[in-house]
Amino acid sequence: MEPVGNLHPSTLSTRDLPWRVLWKREKCTLCGRCTAACPVRAIGLGVHRKRTMEVSVGLATKPSNLYQVYHGIDQVTDPARACIGCGLCTQVCPNGAIMALRSDEADKLRFHVNKGGEPRRRGGRRNDPGSVLDRIKFVRISMLTDPALDAGRHEFEVRTLLGRILSPEESLRAQRENLWIPPVREIYPLMVGGMSFGALSPNMWEGLQMGVAYLNEELGMPVRMCTGEGGCPPRLLRSRFLKYVILQIASGYFGWDEIIHALPEMKEDPCAIEIKYGQGAKPGDGGLLMWYKVNKLIAAIRGVPTGVSLPSPPTHQTKYSIEESVAKMIQSMCMAWGFRVPVYPKISATTTTLAVLNNLARNPYAAGLAIDGEDGGTGAAYNVSMNHMGHPIASNIRDAYLNLVKIGKQNEIPILAGGGVGKNGNLAANAAALIMLGASGIQAGKYIMQACGGCVGSEADRCNICNIGLCPKGITSQDPRIYRRLDPEDVAQRLVDVFVSFDAELKKILAPLGRSTSLPIGMADALGIDDRNAAERLGIRYVV
Amino acid sequence: MAQHDSIFIAGMEDDRRIESRILEERIQRAVAEGYHRIEVQAHGQHGIGGRLWNTDGKPVKVEIRGFPGQRIGSMGAPGTTIEVHGSASDDVGWLNAGATIIVHGDATNGVANAMAQGRIYVAGDIGARGMTMTKQNPRFEPPELWVLGGVGDSFAEFMAGGVAVVCGHGSHYRRNSILGTRPCVGMVGGKIFFHGHQKSYSEADAKIVRITDEEWEWLRKGLKDFLQVAGKEYIFEELTHDRSTWQLITARAPSEKLSIRRSTMRQFHTEVWDRELGAGGLIGDLTNLDRGQIPVITTGDLRRFVPSWENHKYLPPCQASCPTGIPVQKRWELIRKGELDKAVNLSLEYTPFPATVCGHLCPNLCMEGCTRGKANLVPVDTALLGRASLDAVEPEPLQPTGKKVAIIGGGPAGLSVAWQLWLKGHEPVIHDRAEDLGGKIRSVIPFSRIPKDVFEHELKRLRDRVAWVKLDEGGVTEELFMDIRDRYEYTVIAVGAQNPRELRVKGYDRAMPALDFLRSAKRNRIGVGERVVIIGAGNVGCDAATEAYRLGAKEVTLIDIQKPASFGKERAAAEAAGARFVWPVKTEAITKKGVVLSDGTEIPANLVVASIGDRPDLSFLPDSIDTQGGFIRVGDDYRTSDPRVFAIGDSVRPGLITDAIGAGRKVASAIDAALRGQQETHDQLSVIDTARIHLEYYDPSVKELPDIHACSVQCASCGGCRDCGLCETLCPGSAISRKTLEGGGFEYVVDADRCIGCGFCAGACPCGIWELRENVPIG
Repeated sequence: MEPVGNLHPSTLSTRDLPWRVLWKREKCTLCGRCTAACPVRAIGLGVHRKRTMEVSVGLATKPSNLYQVYHGIDQVTDPARACIGCGLCTQVCPNGAIMALRSDEADKLRFHVNKGGEPRRRGGRRNDPGSVLDRIKFVRISMLTDPALDAGRHEFEVRTLLGRILSPEESLRAQRENLWIPPVREIYPLMVGGMSFGALSPNMWEGLQMGVAYLNEELGMPVRMCTGEGGCPPRLLRSRFLKYVILQIASGYFGWDEIIHALPEMKEDPCAIEIKYGQGAKPGDGGLLMWYKVNKLIAAIRGVPTGVSLPSPPTHQTKYSIEESVAKMIQSMCMAWGFRVPVYPKISATTTTLAVLNNLARNPYAAGLAIDGEDGGTGAAYNVSMNHMGHPIASNIRDAYLNLVKIGKQNEIPILAGGGVGKNGNLAANAAALIMLGASGIQAGKYIMQACGGCVGSEADRCNICNIGLCPKGITSQDPRIYRRLDPEDVAQRLVDVFVSFDAELKKILAPLGRSTSLPIGMADALGIDDRNAAERLGIRYVV
Repeated sequence: MAQHDSIFIAGMEDDRRIESRILEERIQRAVAEGYHRIEVQAHGQHGIGGRLWNTDGKPVKVEIRGFPGQRIGSMGAPGTTIEVHGSASDDVGWLNAGATIIVHGDATNGVANAMAQGRIYVAGDIGARGMTMTKQNPRFEPPELWVLGGVGDSFAEFMAGGVAVVCGHGSHYRRNSILGTRPCVGMVGGKIFFHGHQKSYSEADAKIVRITDEEWEWLRKGLKDFLQVAGKEYIFEELTHDRSTWQLITARAPSEKLSIRRSTMRQFHTEVWDRELGAGGLIGDLTNLDRGQIPVITTGDLRRFVPSWENHKYLPPCQASCPTGIPVQKRWELIRKGELDKAVNLSLEYTPFPATVCGHLCPNLCMEGCTRGKANLVPVDTALLGRASLDAVEPEPLQPTGKKVAIIGGGPAGLSVAWQLWLKGHEPVIHDRAEDLGGKIRSVIPFSRIPKDVFEHELKRLRDRVAWVKLDEGGVTEELFMDIRDRYEYTVIAVGAQNPRELRVKGYDRAMPALDFLRSAKRNRIGVGERVVIIGAGNVGCDAATEAYRLGAKEVTLIDIQKPASFGKERAAAEAAGARFVWPVKTEAITKKGVVLSDGTEIPANLVVASIGDRPDLSFLPDSIDTQGGFIRVGDDYRTSDPRVFAIGDSVRPGLITDAIGAGRKVASAIDAALRGQQETHDQLSVIDTARIHLEYYDPSVKELPDIHACSVQCASCGGCRDCGLCETLCPGSAISRKTLEGGGFEYVVDADRCIGCGFCAGACPCGIWELRENVPIG
């Protein structure tokens, strides 16, 4: 760092920053790769004067000074350029001379990231490694009592249903009287959660879609991916791959005119329509794609001019009541595809979930409810929203499911769970836990970014600059100089690996339950946790 | 030892079925007693015939009739033959380790499960899960299962060794699949020969291979034996006449399992994805940008940041600090290049008094602004440079324009305007009431601070070139002023501030105004006595103190109501002479004896000098020219409310001589532009951010810079390239090179194809010339 002259309240030392860049002079060859690569310019070349006293033994001659100048890699302490710990410098260094290390005490930067009264905004997630889902164990292992299945040997068909399933009586009546039967999709229970074209880079987004297509067409896994709110590329809308896509409409309505224009030319119906009312990572807050991310490409897909900021308000501004927001939007979306496509809302997990769910239960057009928990990730949100707003997913899903049981509709309206599933890497275990708590399907976003794009974000506030377009891996940038680091084929291959391995792990959990074709939705008696309060709250076993 | 070789053991005793345990005990005892042939009438007992080891090494034969239970021949031993005359229940030969088991009827589920050695013949069908988990121990021959009919589902799961032969003859299964559904899942070893229709098997684990001649011979021979045991030799021909009706399944090797053919992602991308969507994939219709993979470290257009050589894009702090605007740094640069004359002469483009002012009178604000000072390095000394400019040669003035401009007042401000206008080819005419030009420099500032010959030398240079009119002692009147204003294109008021501010205390008229004192002192026309008190300890007061000592005072006291504002050379001279500064004190009255302070103390004085500032005499101003607080009100370009009249110097606001000279230069520039009908263009450059300058390259132990050459070397050359070549050497990609321009100039240029945008040049440049800037956005 540069030596400090005057001190200001926000004058920080490297020690006050969350990450310290350790640089080894003896290893460094001054190749410039680290400073060229650093996303936030947290390091730069520094000039240093070194003084050596030349003193002869016995003081035989007059002591003298020797001044020499050397150059080294310095860490910048300007809060705006504080090291984010992404580690790209280490990755590009040919000599292992540089590395960012987390400071050994709570940083002071957090008190200074509100310049001009603007609270901190960031991407990433909640920065809380704790997870109730991780603590849930699958305690029912049927070795001798039930048909003991072998995950490797037995044939499994892991599928879930997305759509409104009529009760047997209604179904018979509908068939007898030739009535409308709600569309239902049989899909893989893990889906790629909504991440927009815009939040994600073109290469990342295309890679995910390509991987989804591969899973469907080469491996026969009916995996689905939600577009998020950013429109859908016109070519995808007019391709057969559209059937693998869940189109999202949210409060910004971006790209929907392009979708409407494509309707007559669609070869396939989309899998479903997701209406986003809330997002787990930032409940009650909207989205904002900053103007500098809105280049020609984004503008074309979203149907907006270039270089304007694109806010998605927290609520649907074109609707004025819950009836309008929910019932009318669902009905309109059903109409758009001739009532052939399931339409379901997505909300942030909240104490008001049951009110929404009960409303949906009475709505024949509602195909399900997606609930997004507090641990969800996002491309951009206020720190305070991300860290402190929202409801944990586990109890919300459980409450929702038990509410359906109470009204006798637990097999009729699927609940999709999302938000931090696999936040610590335990994707299959978390997903299985949520399914047994009552979810019919799982939406994962952040895990997918980490596993398929190589996102280095962590629950310890590492990197987290998804919002400023400088993603070191090219996942959330719209700058070709950055996103071209990512090859869509690599992303696609990683997605395939993730789903195939998830499938294997999920089977390992389902097999001892004797389930090979129907998911153990709501089968909470198979779950245990070593916390009495959590066990009681979730209605699962307390085990120690 | 047994009397006979054969024994019969019944499964019923007294009309009651005996337990499996008892039957087992009796069979084991019979073998121990030396029987080699045991006939069993079974009634559902389990595990018959297994685990039999006799001590004599001869084979043991177990014949089973009736209704045997499960696990016939379980853990069968080598040397044991078990023959079931009828059908068998589950798990025949479970964990068989060498027995030969013959079943003349069908066998239900689990035949040969986990068999490791031995041979099982079944002359009918078998149920599900046959031949699972079989293995081959390298120490022994592989286990064999021969089935005349077909097998049930999940055959050969996790089969790890051995041979199964399924003949498909007369099977209940023949209409479906002779090997049942999903055979061979998890199969890792062994062979399955089968004859007949088969729908599917686990292709991930197993594969159908060609039967070799050797294998075919083995199969024929084995079949002969099997059919003989089964009593069906007559179907041998039927089974073997067409070799092509037999197939062989073997396990895939681990390496083969990995290579199950699927499209690579590359293939899928080009052959499926792009074929459906069109060239360029998902967004090929929306953009033609290349989206192919690039490395993190890039060159050319793909760099995120590019270096920019910004030579002289910003003002150096010295020049920006100089009210006159002298390009100090440029002059050091010329000296470094050995062009001392140019460096010296350059000064006359900016001021008529480089030696007088820069060299002697100016507090050298340039040196205060010097970047070196920020690192406690001794600033370069401009006064040295100023004094060296005494014999500077002025530039050739521009072509005469014949335009006349009146200047009222021949002090520093007026002389500066006149000099600049003369340089620009106009005809300035100075009007002053004094005997000679020079204003306060001539009349007030003590010779101790400005050697007479220096000033005279520089004044002469100006006086020889610029016209001036001596006014009456009374100076300018309103009438005269209006006359001048009307006769000249423009008029510049530079009358200075001559009227002392009034000190509102009793006996004020006993005090002598400082300017009057200095004026008289300079001509040695005043006596001061032993004690002098000076009210107001600013720089003028300090000059007065110094002069008072020169004139013989023994004790000079400067008093001030606040912390004295004096600084620099004036203050230093007064202190050196012995002046005493007293503050904060308030003057109550001036008496014959001296000065009485508000607290009653009296400072005795033979002479009291009032040095509390001066006001311009503006009595000649017409109403058309506005004033404000006793000074002339001017706009940014020093224009008064009369557009043809400008005002500068102390008549506008009190300031330093360099302020007056700078203002003169600006006014001259404005008048010149107006006379030529041009829009005036000021220097728009902003000052360089000193954070860009690296002082680490200089020696902090240097305490003084003895001469102008030393100064020129130590100048940090802020914002102006000193052509040191450091960037060229430092650049990791050797992207930077020096280019000589026509006309002797130079520049440093970047080869974009070698530059990675690391910013090392910007980080290391001693002068702050390089800056790393964001590259032009793509897309």
